[in-house]
Amino acid sequence: MTTRRPVAATLAVLGYVIMIVPILFVVAVAFTSGSTLQFPPDGFSTRWFGAALRYGPFMDSLVSSLELAVVATVLALLLGVPVAIAIHRGRIPGKGFLEGLFLSPLIVPELVVGLALYQQLMIGLDLDNRTTLLLGHTALLLPYAVRVTGASLALADPAIEEAARGLGASPTRAFFSVTLPILRPGIFSAGLLGFVTSFNNVPLSLLLQDREFRTLPVTMLDYVQQSYNPMIAAMATLILAATVVIAVVAERTVGFAQIFGGINR
Amino acid sequence: MTTAAAEFRGVTQRFGDFTAVDGIDLAIAEGKLTTLLGPSGCGKTTSLRMLAGYSAPTSGTIHIHGTDSTRLPPEKRDLGMVFQSYALFPHLTVADNVAYGLKVRRVPKPERAKRVAEVLGLVGLDHLAANRPKQLSGGQQQRVALARAIAIRPRLLLLDEPLSNLDARLRVQMRAEIRRIQAETGLTVVLVTHDQDEALEMSDDMVLMRAGTIMQQGSPQDVFARPANRFVADFLGYENFLTVGGRHLTVRPEHLTLGDGGGELRLDVTVVSTAFRGVDVLVTLEAVDDTGTVRLLADLRGQPSLTPGARTTVHAAPQHLVTLDERA
Repeated sequence: MTTRRPVAATLAVLGYVIMIVPILFVVAVAFTSGSTLQFPPDGFSTRWFGAALRYGPFMDSLVSSLELAVVATVLALLLGVPVAIAIHRGRIPGKGFLEGLFLSPLIVPELVVGLALYQQLMIGLDLDNRTTLLLGHTALLLPYAVRVTGASLALADPAIEEAARGLGASPTRAFFSVTLPILRPGIFSAGLLGFVTSFNNVPLSLLLQDREFRTLPVTMLDYVQQSYNPMIAAMATLILAATVVIAVVAERTVGFAQIFGGINR
Repeated sequence: MTTAAAEFRGVTQRFGDFTAVDGIDLAIAEGKLTTLLGPSGCGKTTSLRMLAGYSAPTSGTIHIHGTDSTRLPPEKRDLGMVFQSYALFPHLTVADNVAYGLKVRRVPKPERAKRVAEVLGLVGLDHLAANRPKQLSGGQQQRVALARAIAIRPRLLLLDEPLSNLDARLRVQMRAEIRRIQAETGLTVVLVTHDQDEALEMSDDMVLMRAGTIMQQGSPQDVFARPANRFVADFLGYENFLTVGGRHLTVRPEHLTLGDGGGELRLDVTVVSTAFRGVDVLVTLEAVDDTGTVRLLADLRGQPSLTPGARTTVHAAPQHLVTLDERA
């Protein structure tokens, strides 16, 4: 594909270079033995990784972030997958409106959502910030659950479910034995996207933080504002490494084309 | 009178303002292969889907083996359906696809394995039992869909344009194959197609549909020899339509012969153009009937070549002249 389109290929390579090169600088700086964030690094050491892993606020907020991302993703899937099925297969009026409603968190600025949640849930209903963050992140992830699952549903032949019914399966049985297995890659990719989105989120988490429960990106942001040393680069590199591992595992188990809804098939 | 395998009584299906099927009465004969034939939008697939239970008629009833099944959901009908897209389960092997209906019916495992092997043998796919649908060719997928539908020993086998996704050679081959399977299993088959050759070759009984109504039903031989109206004649390739002495007539291109044969139909014609087609030579002619000038198509194979502008006479033997109910 790339060999036949030199312009597109060049642009693609350029795009990757622009995206990846700054990251390489961060990674390189993380291995410095000096104590300033500068390039080229002073010598080589892994001491900043040790420091990052021993730094309490990072580890506490990492646990919070993981907990938040996992629970919000599961909630978004539990809510979003049935909605996607209802939109694509059900006979309900106002499908377009319904889909728009569930995709709207993508469009509304997160700061607005955050402020609204802060006012209504934390002040108004007196919920703690952990619950509010969970609700906020779940809403934020809903579009991924609805859209990505919907994309794999749209690609699946509706006659497959009819075939199962025709062979004697009840609607419930047809759903669990045929529809759900076909949707599995879509649900998996929605989950992965949701998890990464929640884990990396800053605006919502920033507005809804407090001392007790705060996410890793917010904690890192705080840290950078106070001290500018290579520990932040080491933490960032650790997150990057974990993300790469997840991506590789995902590619090995289901394949990226499938994870992203098989749109490029 | 024997009970029909399936019967439509005054069945109408509307989708909003659109009437897909308009009050049809239709009996499907037991143990025969019936085709629903017509152009797209004629209501043939809608009728099949109502028979299978995938959509309920707006009005009218559908009886299967004498029982009113109009409101029965598809899983309670015991019918085998082959979809145009085959609709194989992509996450299951060929054998598990075929076994699906048996599993649902709680057929014990040994019996299930035996029956799966049996139907896969019937369609000639025993060697591919462990494969996934994606690894198969279109023709093989089609056979799996057929095997899956037959495995449950359905009361009726319904085929929705089963051959339309195959290439031309395979299509012709599968016609005979489906006939063979029908003969071996003794199944009642309802087949939907838009291909008149397919319908003529495969049917015991042929139902021609247009705009949600049935235009004619009968054996392929009868329908082909005596189309009831212009639509049916046109669909079956009659080409030539004229009004002579107040009668609406049609005759096939190959049944027009040069010369004054003294038959029932005799026309003075002017040659418009000729087209050499290998075996046959198609000649476009102009003649005058009750309504004015009409164009005719004659297949004049092995007859002296004609040049455009030439005047001559053609005739048709009485047995080849068909009188139509109406002109429209």
